[in-house]
This record gives sequence, C-alpha cells and structure tokens, in this order.
Amino acid sequence: MKRLLVLGLAVLGAATLSGTAAAQDKPRCGAGNGTAATGAPIKVGGIFGNAAPGDFSSATDAAKAFFDCVNASGGIHGRPVQYMIENDQWNPELAGQAASKLVRDEGVVAMVGNASFVEMSVNAPLYARENIMAMASGCAVSECFESSSIVSTNQGPLASSVGAAIYAVEELGAKNISCIGLAIPSVGNWSCGAVEEYMASKGLAGSSVLLNPAAPDVNSGLLEAIASGADTMLVNLPAGLAIAVLGSAKEQDIRDTYKWISSTPLYDRSVPGALGEYWDGAMFVNAELTPFDGTGPDNVHWLSVMDAYAKAEDPRDTFSQAGYLSAKFFTQMLEAMDPGDIDVRAKVTAAIKAIAGYRSDLICGPYYVGEVDRHMPNHAGTMVKVSGAGFEVVRECYEYEGPYFAPLIEAEKKFGLR
Amino acid sequence: MQKHIQSVSAYVVLMAAIMTALTWAMPAKIVGLFVVSGLAVGSLYALGGIGLVVLYRATGVLNLGAGAIGAFSVMLAWQLDVRGWPAPLTWLAAIGVATGLSLIYGRLIAPRLAWRDPVVKAVATLGLALIVLGVTAFLWEDDVRKFSLPTDEVGVTILGLRVTVTRLIVACAAVAIVVGISLFLAWTRVGLQMRSLANDRDLSALLGVPILRVETQAWGIAGAIAGFTGLMFGDLVRLEPTIITFLVIPCIAAAICGRLHSLGLVLVGGLSIGVIESLMTLSPTFKSVRSMAPFVIAALVLMWMQRGRRPLFAGDQ
Repeated sequence: MKRLLVLGLAVLGAATLSGTAAAQDKPRCGAGNGTAATGAPIKVGGIFGNAAPGDFSSATDAAKAFFDCVNASGGIHGRPVQYMIENDQWNPELAGQAASKLVRDEGVVAMVGNASFVEMSVNAPLYARENIMAMASGCAVSECFESSSIVSTNQGPLASSVGAAIYAVEELGAKNISCIGLAIPSVGNWSCGAVEEYMASKGLAGSSVLLNPAAPDVNSGLLEAIASGADTMLVNLPAGLAIAVLGSAKEQDIRDTYKWISSTPLYDRSVPGALGEYWDGAMFVNAELTPFDGTGPDNVHWLSVMDAYAKAEDPRDTFSQAGYLSAKFFTQMLEAMDPGDIDVRAKVTAAIKAIAGYRSDLICGPYYVGEVDRHMPNHAGTMVKVSGAGFEVVRECYEYEGPYFAPLIEAEKKFGLR
Repeated sequence: MQKHIQSVSAYVVLMAAIMTALTWAMPAKIVGLFVVSGLAVGSLYALGGIGLVVLYRATGVLNLGAGAIGAFSVMLAWQLDVRGWPAPLTWLAAIGVATGLSLIYGRLIAPRLAWRDPVVKAVATLGLALIVLGVTAFLWEDDVRKFSLPTDEVGVTILGLRVTVTRLIVACAAVAIVVGISLFLAWTRVGLQMRSLANDRDLSALLGVPILRVETQAWGIAGAIAGFTGLMFGDLVRLEPTIITFLVIPCIAAAICGRLHSLGLVLVGGLSIGVIESLMTLSPTFKSVRSMAPFVIAALVLMWMQRGRRPLFAGDQ
C-alpha cells in the first residue's frame, strides 16, 4: 500500500513537473501575471476574406493566436479578450452584415486584424459613423488607407510597389518602369498610378498595364508592357497571377532583357519553388514587414506564438506578421488605458487615435494613428531577391518617397515622429 | 449548304474587319506578336469548346461542369507530382479521374434528366461544377502552386513570339480532336448512333439505338477531353481551380460560334475569339473591356444564326 502511495505521488509529481515545463515553454503575451485571465471579456472584432480565389485569413489567425496567448498569460488588466472573427467571403453584402453584427449587435470596442479586398471599402463609412477604429492588417484598396477610421500594419500594393520601384531606380538603374497591376478599381490604377507619379517626380518614365484578375491571357498584358518601352517590369499582382505573368516571361525567355521587381505578394515561402530555377537571383521583391527569418524579438515571438497558439497549417506569412502586430499594438494600448475605460468604445477609439511612436522590429518605422483622414504608418520596407529555395535580403529597411507620401510625412512631423 | 457558306463567310469577314480596325496603322511586327499570342489562347478556348460540342451532339447536354472536372484533374496531377509520382503517370491519372467523374455523372444523373429541356440539363451540370469546385477547394486550400510540363522548356519562334511546344500541342490537339471525332462520327457504328441521337433522340430509341450505352461513351470521351484540357489550362493559364473552372465560359462562346454542332467552326470561333481578345490590348479604348470579347462575339453569332431559324436550346420538339 505504501509502495502504491509513493508510486502515485511520483506519477503526480512527474505530471505536475511536465505540466509546469510545458507552461514555461509557451510564450507570454502582454503584461499579465501569468495566470489565465478571468472575468468579463473585452469584446474585439475582426473580419477577413476567404473564398476562392484568395485567402486573407492568416491575419486574423495570427491576431487570434496573440489574443489567446494574452488570455493565457493573464489578460488585459486581468480580463480576457473575446476575439470574434467573421469571413466576408469577398462578398460586399456579407462584409456589411459582418461589420453590423460585430459593431452594432456585439458592441465590440474595436476591430483588429481585418484583412480583405472588400470589407474596408464597404465598412469604412460605418466605422466612421459608429466611432470605432479598425486596426487592420491586410489592407489592399485605397479606401482602406484613405479612411479616418482604419489604420493598418501592412503597406498594401501602393507603398510596396513604390518601394520596389525606388529600389529598381536606385540600385538597378531603372529608367522606365511598366507596372503590371490588377484591373480592380482602387487597387491597380491606384497603386500603379503612384508608381507613375514617383517615376515622373524623378524625371523618369512609367506606365501601367492592368490585368483582369480572371483573365486567362496574361501574355497580351506582358506584350503590352513590353510595347511600352520599359526597361523594368514591376509585377504588382496576387501571387497566382504574378506567377502566370512570370511564366509567360519565361516562355518568351526575356528574363535577361528586363529588370524584374515585384510588390509583396511574391514574398511568400512557396513562391521560389513555384517560380523554379529560371528566376533564381533575377526576381527582386519588396517585403512590407521584416523578413520571415528575422531575428528581432517580435519576429521570434510571433513565430513562437503561432507555434503555441495557432494551427500548424496556418500560414506564417506577411499578413500573419501584420495580424500579430496589430493585436500586439492594440493590447499595448489597452494596457496603458484606465481599466475602467476599456469597455467604452469612444474612449478606446480616442486611445487608438492617440497612439504615436509604437515600435517593433517587424516594421521599419514608428507606428502611429492620429486624427487624420488617411493612415499609412508603415511606409518603409526591405528588399529581397529570390535565391535558391528562399529569399536573400538585398536592401535593409529603407523609406519610400514620392508625391503620395508627402502628406504622411507632414503628419509625422506634426506628431513629433521626425 | 449555301446558307451555311454564307454564314461562315459573313463571320470571317466580320472578324477580319474587327481585326483590321484594331490593328490599323500598327507596325506589322507588333501585330504579329499579338496575333500569335491570341492564337495560343484561342486554341485553348477551341479545345474546351470542342469537348463541350462533342458531348452536346451526342447527349444534348451542355456540360458547364467540364471546367471544374478539368480543374480537379490538374490539381490531382499536381498533387501526385509533389508526392513523387512519375510525370506521365500523373497525367494519365488526371485524365483517368476526369473520365471517371464524367462517367459517374453521365451514368447516374444525366439519364434521369434525359427527357428534360436542354436548359435544365445545362443547369444541372452547373450544380456538378459547383460541387466539384467545392470539393477541390476543400482538398486544396488557396496557395501558390505551379504545374508545368516538360514541353514548356522547348519552343519555336513564330512572327517574333516564342511559342512553347505545349502551346503547339494544344493547337495540334484541337485540330486532331476535330478530325478524329469527325472521322469517328462519320465512320464508326457508335459515331452513327451518336449522330442519330443528336438528330432525334425519340426516333433513335424506337429504332433500337442503345441510348444509355452510347451516351455513356460520349460522357467518357468528353471527360477525357476535359481532363486533357484541364492539364493544358493548369499549365498555360495558371493552377487556380476557380479560374480553370470558369474558363468553361469563354469555351462556351467558342462552342456557340460552332452553333454547338460544327467542330470545325468551334475551332475557327475559338481561335478568332483569342486573336480579337489579344488585339484589343492594342486599343486604348477597348483594352479595358477585352475580357468581354468572347461574349460579344458569341452574342453576335447567335443573333446572326437565329435569324429566321429555330432558336438554340429549343428542346427536342
């Protein structure tokens, strides 16, 4: 009997030790005391788009992983975050319903990690009317960046394309860039138009070729870009379409005739394999956030949070980094608030708008919001090139320039960030 | 016959006029590039359209699910390739699975709709398309993928544009299938039975034509063509199931150019749609609406063909 008791105690002790070790292995998030949060939840919403042909859910997946980590680590002022996520399925009607449900019915205090082509265009007026801020992570359309109620941690196609163009001009000697973008209002013409403006501001030439997202014939688009007389091709398309364009370029064997640059969609772990050896060393891609294998504390923490709290199959991509970062900044902001105010939406909105100078190794510059009619705090990036089965950094953090960024820089001066 | 020649002549003249208008005062070298590029895409439309017409002629079903079956098959080929299967086996598996899917529908569901209007039959295949696309999206989440064939690496230059052997295979396959199916229909007993079914299903049944068997064979042939077309679309367009699934729409436009009957005209229709769509890129006015080209051309053909004749989709009456 005594032996059995000793054995039982030993097993219990081993289980406790292994449990403690497992708990210690898990990353901590926020300023909690390490004990799982209890009490009334803080309601936060998030909307992503996932339906064929694109899945932006990695942003909300990462934000959810971070909030789960926060809750396990003690919560915000001891309270857990209840993160409610909706899928707009690229459908404007569903996007409107999702926002209405979260903002009006559930009464969330803020939206965090939103990532969609559709949601922001549809819901920006609602967010302004309801005085709620969306700390987004996957903005892709102009309405998302040019709204007083939305601020994103990602750069979107405009900043990323201009960033790639700046690299091509300064490092590759580009004189004439053809930007191949999407024929979707507020996306292709907006982002490629900014590239043209940047090139014009430097006394250089730029042009745009817009492709229908469902077009089977990308070859004609490529031929149009060639006919423009460009010496550099800027591929500013979702990864699948971009790979099709580059496949056509490979078919024509014109890799060495032009310089090839791209906005962030091609910065994805699966892209080098899909592109094949032909593009090894010849494709330069702008990365909106820090490289995936960055050794900064936030990047390392992002990966450990994903490993501990997200599904193994959830992508560890740029939107995932951006989703993590939005959730982190939101948590940091709530922790700085008076605990009695964090359920009052107006006070949360005011606190978000007061964010200035938050820093992370995931982005090159300071993160800020402010009471302005457009937000694009992340407008400095990194340039990488396809190298073997991965990417190699060819230019560390550099700031973008051009007419579009002038008002942003003015605002940053006002906020004392410059 | 005279009316038929008149129609084809009118179509050729119209297409030539549109092409001339789009390329007026353009350098011949540039025009050549876009024409060859358009022929490459047009041969894909033609290939898809031919598969649709083969089935329609024998069964009266316009299979809107052909694109989805092709998309599933090429995704399967990609998956097997990733798992290390020898490439030829992955292609055969893809064509085999597409044939199987088509046969399952043709044997289990299509006979139950045999006496319904052609529109009902077509809408039922739209259901097939959505189910197959749903399963494909469930099995293969959105990701960056590339499917390529060894023939992509070799090419020839035509009018200044490099054309890969894969594209030449598509063009040759489209012509070969037109010739092969035409000979099959003209010279074999099953072909005769298919023509008989296409002409009058009720009368064929009375004469003892084994309808179910003949239609099953037609579904099998159409499935194999859909599988092959899927492999070509996956390689030459891109490996995205939704895009491949809905490529059936411009293929229908090509099929309509052949009035869902003449395989030769489907080939001409597909090629001309591809070329005009490509040449519209040269026009600052029309380049933003070039994706409408297949439907505008199909609508014009329909209006021309329908003058004073029985309407398409009129049923068997």
